[in-house]
Amino acid sequence: MSLDSIPNGLREAIESDFQPVHPLHPAWIRTILAVAILAVVLAFVLAKASLRTDIDQLPLWLSWGCSALQLVLGVLLIGLALREAIPGEGIPGGAIRIAAVTALAVQIFVGVATSIYSPAIAMPGSGIAPGIGCFKHEIAMALPTFVVTLWLVFRALPLRAPTAGLLGGAGATVGSDAVIHLLCPMSNLSHVLVWHTGAVVLFMALGWTAGAIWERIRWRTGA
Amino acid sequence: MAVDRRAEEQKLIALMIAYQKGDMDAFTGLYEALKRPLIRYLWTFVRNQTMAEDLLQETFLQLHRARQTYTPPRPVRPWIYAITRHVALMHLRSMRRRKEFLPDEDLPEVPVPPEMDQLADRATVQRLLGTLPRASQEVLILHHLLGMSFEEVGQIVGITSGTAKVRAHRALKKIREQLAEGGARDEP
Repeated sequence: MSLDSIPNGLREAIESDFQPVHPLHPAWIRTILAVAILAVVLAFVLAKASLRTDIDQLPLWLSWGCSALQLVLGVLLIGLALREAIPGEGIPGGAIRIAAVTALAVQIFVGVATSIYSPAIAMPGSGIAPGIGCFKHEIAMALPTFVVTLWLVFRALPLRAPTAGLLGGAGATVGSDAVIHLLCPMSNLSHVLVWHTGAVVLFMALGWTAGAIWERIRWRTGA
Repeated sequence: MAVDRRAEEQKLIALMIAYQKGDMDAFTGLYEALKRPLIRYLWTFVRNQTMAEDLLQETFLQLHRARQTYTPPRPVRPWIYAITRHVALMHLRSMRRRKEFLPDEDLPEVPVPPEMDQLADRATVQRLLGTLPRASQEVLILHHLLGMSFEEVGQIVGITSGTAKVRAHRALKKIREQLAEGGARDEP
């Protein structure tokens, strides 16, 4: 093959699909779109539901403070996922590991701190039934943001699609848990770790799997 | 030199913007400007000239399909090299799955980085370059041969600029050590 000119096959393939395109918006603008969905869902739930019964027993940093921390972390994780989706703007592997571990560590920290400050409060019927209830709420709240984030990620070209999906899943659920933390009356650690942190882990796994499937399809068909 | 590089980058950005607007000549200009350095880079993955040339076509097809993901006025080269790298890695993965192997070739038409050119004759340096692990060789070629900054190398490879610098330093050191050992053996 001569390198002096564009090979005919390549030229024909390019010319068959040659039309002007608009560049994607920068990652921070696309983050705003995903976060807007999250904000609408969270504001709606917060307006409709009542706050946890032990909210007065929790110090401000642990109730609203930790909620704000989770929200900021969720937004950052979504931003990282969308940045990871642009070739040449990928995040170093170490930073990705730190982001994923931080998402889980914050969840665990909030759970442990809440159980320490409010150990006596336990709703009647604590166990699997309320756990499943929390889990469903968490999924319902995180799902719209998760779907929009993945759509934005896959509209670009993530070169490590599973990683971008994992970050998006973590961001959507950690952000949603910011409000669940203010609403859920269960403060026992096992409940928070299994059902709340479990939802984060589930969405991280779903994001990873969705990324792996997208990657396989994208690079097999060149779609 | 730095001015040349800035001018070259500005030219690539202008071509990329025109290409996104639907100018086929701009695509041709990008192809002309990038084909040889991309072949050199692809060679570090497949070590086979014919395969590198095939992958160059696949790379430009992928660039075309993803052209909306370039955001002006960001530098063009990290974007293009990151996609090129992924095309090569996907190809290697697929070869591994199919248990295919290509014979290694000597590096054809690829100049040796100036820092290494002074160390020994070209053939020896090329041979030693070929013995380095791919990750080290990739960083050396991107920085010393293709003139990328360590920050750009990091963006392409997905590592920090510090890690890229350390990899390049260790690779050069290893080549120097191998040359010293070889020199000692050659002495009567």
